[in-house]
Amino acid sequence: MKKLIIIGCCCLPVLRITAQLKPFKDSLFSKELSEVVVTATRNERKLGNVAVPVSIISQKNIQQAGSLRLKDILQEQPGLFLTSGFGVGVQMQGLNPDYTLILVDGEPLTGRTSGVLDLNRVTTGNIKKIEIVKGPSSSLYGSEALAGVINIITDKSYDKKLNLSARYGTYNSLDANITAAGRIGKAGFSAFLNQYNTDGYSIRPYSVERSKLPVNRTTPHLNINYPFSNKTSLNLSLRYNYEHIKNELAVSNNGQVTYSYGREINKDLNITPTLTHIFSSKFKTQLRLYANRFEGSQKLSTSVGQGYDDYFLQRFYRAENQTDYSLSKRLSFVGGIGYIKEFVNSTRYDSKDSRKENEVSYGFIQAEWQALKNLTFIGGFRYDDNKLYASAFSPKIAGKLTVNNRLSFQASYGRGFKAPDFRQLYLNFTNTSAGSYSVFGALEAQRIIQLMDNAGLIRQFEADYSRLQALKPEYSNGFNAGFTFFPTRKLQWQVNVFRNDIKDLIEARLVATRQDNTQIFSYVNIQRAFTQGIETNIRYVITNSFILNAGYQYLQTADKDELNRLKEGNYYYTRDENNFSVLLKKKDYLGLPNRSPHMATCKLSYEPASQKWFANIRAAYRSKWVVFDKDGNGIYNKQDEFAEGFVQLGSSIGSSLPYGFRIQAGADNILNHVDVNNLPNAPGRTYFITIGYSFINNKSTKNKN
Amino acid sequence: MKKMNMTLTGLFAAAILLFSSCKKDDADVAIDKTNDGTFKVFTEGNITTVQNLIADTIIGLTPVGQPYGANKFSFFSIENNALVPSSDSATNKWDIAFRGTTIITNAGTSGPGLGGAFVLIGTFDATASVPADSTFYTDTAPLYAIRTGSGKGWYNYDGATNLVTALPGRVIMIRTATGKYAKLEIINYYKKGITPAATAPDNDKLSLQRYYGFRYTFQPNGSKTF
Repeated sequence: MKKLIIIGCCCLPVLRITAQLKPFKDSLFSKELSEVVVTATRNERKLGNVAVPVSIISQKNIQQAGSLRLKDILQEQPGLFLTSGFGVGVQMQGLNPDYTLILVDGEPLTGRTSGVLDLNRVTTGNIKKIEIVKGPSSSLYGSEALAGVINIITDKSYDKKLNLSARYGTYNSLDANITAAGRIGKAGFSAFLNQYNTDGYSIRPYSVERSKLPVNRTTPHLNINYPFSNKTSLNLSLRYNYEHIKNELAVSNNGQVTYSYGREINKDLNITPTLTHIFSSKFKTQLRLYANRFEGSQKLSTSVGQGYDDYFLQRFYRAENQTDYSLSKRLSFVGGIGYIKEFVNSTRYDSKDSRKENEVSYGFIQAEWQALKNLTFIGGFRYDDNKLYASAFSPKIAGKLTVNNRLSFQASYGRGFKAPDFRQLYLNFTNTSAGSYSVFGALEAQRIIQLMDNAGLIRQFEADYSRLQALKPEYSNGFNAGFTFFPTRKLQWQVNVFRNDIKDLIEARLVATRQDNTQIFSYVNIQRAFTQGIETNIRYVITNSFILNAGYQYLQTADKDELNRLKEGNYYYTRDENNFSVLLKKKDYLGLPNRSPHMATCKLSYEPASQKWFANIRAAYRSKWVVFDKDGNGIYNKQDEFAEGFVQLGSSIGSSLPYGFRIQAGADNILNHVDVNNLPNAPGRTYFITIGYSFINNKSTKNKN
Repeated sequence: MKKMNMTLTGLFAAAILLFSSCKKDDADVAIDKTNDGTFKVFTEGNITTVQNLIADTIIGLTPVGQPYGANKFSFFSIENNALVPSSDSATNKWDIAFRGTTIITNAGTSGPGLGGAFVLIGTFDATASVPADSTFYTDTAPLYAIRTGSGKGWYNYDGATNLVTALPGRVIMIRTATGKYAKLEIINYYKKGITPAATAPDNDKLSLQRYYGFRYTFQPNGSKTF
């Protein structure tokens, strides 16, 4: 916190000087700032007018970086770090992947495992842009939008086109895309198909084990738009994702080799009909229906007969109405109501035949008020009434002050929440082998433990047993404040300071011990934590063709209870260089694990005015992060074990060719940084080449593809 | 010449004296403290350090992958700073014994002595005496004075990495078989006093464990201060 205050104080004199600066007649960045974003306010706003931290990744950026999956492009964004374990997740403002909502065209993706939504599942092939909003947005989106929202907006232009592209790369990775769009009468359609195959790879030499498993993925996406009149239109989106993952292992134990053979199949189907009616330029309403079905199965058989069969089916249905109304030029409203019905069947809880369900009814309202010509406020809230757990109230307020076209300030406060998931409510898991233990979901624990106690199986109730009750959602109070400043016409500088205070984090705790000494765990609201830091980005137009983008994030985190015990003293110990016990000093405390205090990204791109070709070089840095409580004191400190910091370097070059062809080649992880244990999802150096062809080669499609 | 011889003899004598005295100093100071993986006991001042006390090392895995040893304790005398043969397990000759993560003291179900123990939270150096209001527990198998189980007694077991870590800030207060007192700190559970990295192969984690490193101060006069 002290450091943040110091940074804040340093900014003040800068601000005093800049307040007297004269505005530019025209800004080189006016095009970017007038780009329309939808995620921050749920209605169309110019990027330069939004009061919360938003960034846009354009289709062009994605393509020029040679990204295939959502993870490829997100790992190059400032302040985002990708986690491994249960697929690739994204850590935003130091918060776990569970707390970032991921939307496709405004609708949530489902099928998280242990809270992680695998970013490999999403192809970038038909992404028009990605909007990233940092800070809590639960006031508009409800559960999970606690750290932020990533909204993937797919290409829905209906201009006639047919594009093909194919990319081949290291590890026999093939990615092919077909995009077709056009109009039949009044109806517009766009169809997309992506096929991705890879053999996977092993970063352990001579191993049959694959660090990244062989995968086949198929994603068709069809979008149809029918305007009944120029005021009423119907849109239908159908998206399907099929994923087939092979997992073959050989484990050698005292000369005895056990072979195992695993298959994971995930099927994800989304249907979204949307009816929009525009009453007038001031009054618009939209009815959205969303049906989502995610089915995942994992089967493993081994040569010694043991194995498992995991099944997970999640169905998510939502009906929502949103109405936008402008009372005057200065005052406008967005309001909505919705209803969610959710079902889960899984062997993870009890059996695949037993259906768990939840219902949520919600309403939200947001007002945008232009108090002065250069001062805008946005305020709103959302209320979610849940059937299974306590209801949630999420307010938000934000303001933006535009001094002139060179300087603007913004600040926001929002409360975010994450509802307990089905696992935390219903899990019924008993490990019968090593150090046998059980984990019961919060809704089941008391009933099961009482049954066991009646049968005389319980030796004792532990202290945390008394905490067992209806789980509350996890809450965060998020603050963001910053400025955008143009020191020269060619340089944009953005700073955002953030703090997220999180409470009621759900944690598995020991609640009872059985007579045979096996332990029983369940989920309780316990932990309080914070993450805080500063993010800064610059964009420098060196020449009209050369552009430099750089970003940096400094992050601090702490478990508040640990921090309090540290301040009180005589609680935590560690070991000195002789391995003798010593008291832990507060300055050695590191907070939450798996977080890098320093992260940076840098990208240099070149594209001549003719746009005939381009080249770029991209770097992402992450400082070392603590991974294991080596001294066994229960918290993370400087004496513990770290994963090595690294720089990931990528480069790509591409050119458009005659007759609608284009070609691109590139390399990723050029420095070949591999870390078998801590970065299992990062392969060594890889290469690729892409060839694309557009049948209809007019100017607009050439630029986009 | 004779005089010269005398002088030379004198010089030699002086040199021998000098060297021998040097040798004597060396013997006092230069204890070999390097941890080479062998069992070693050495005393500096009132602190005795034990390295690589082998405590039932793993000899195999059960069909479900649980490691097991020969199920034998290693007995140690704190009064004599030495291992005690297991043939003397039913005598007062030992004070403390080790088998895997289980540590027993010579009393109750474990032996005929006056032993006992409890775990105190604090540092070894700052523990100047046995606190007045403290209670020594005796072993009543399967419940031991020094509790077994992760986080309960002297160690922490991490299921994700399969590593046993001696909890920092734990001092084991010991009553010996003859009813005298000692304070003891477990330093490490692995060979050469080095816990394998979390990312080390499982085989290393299994073969290098159950090598106790610890240090203690024994108060021979029977008082509770160290």
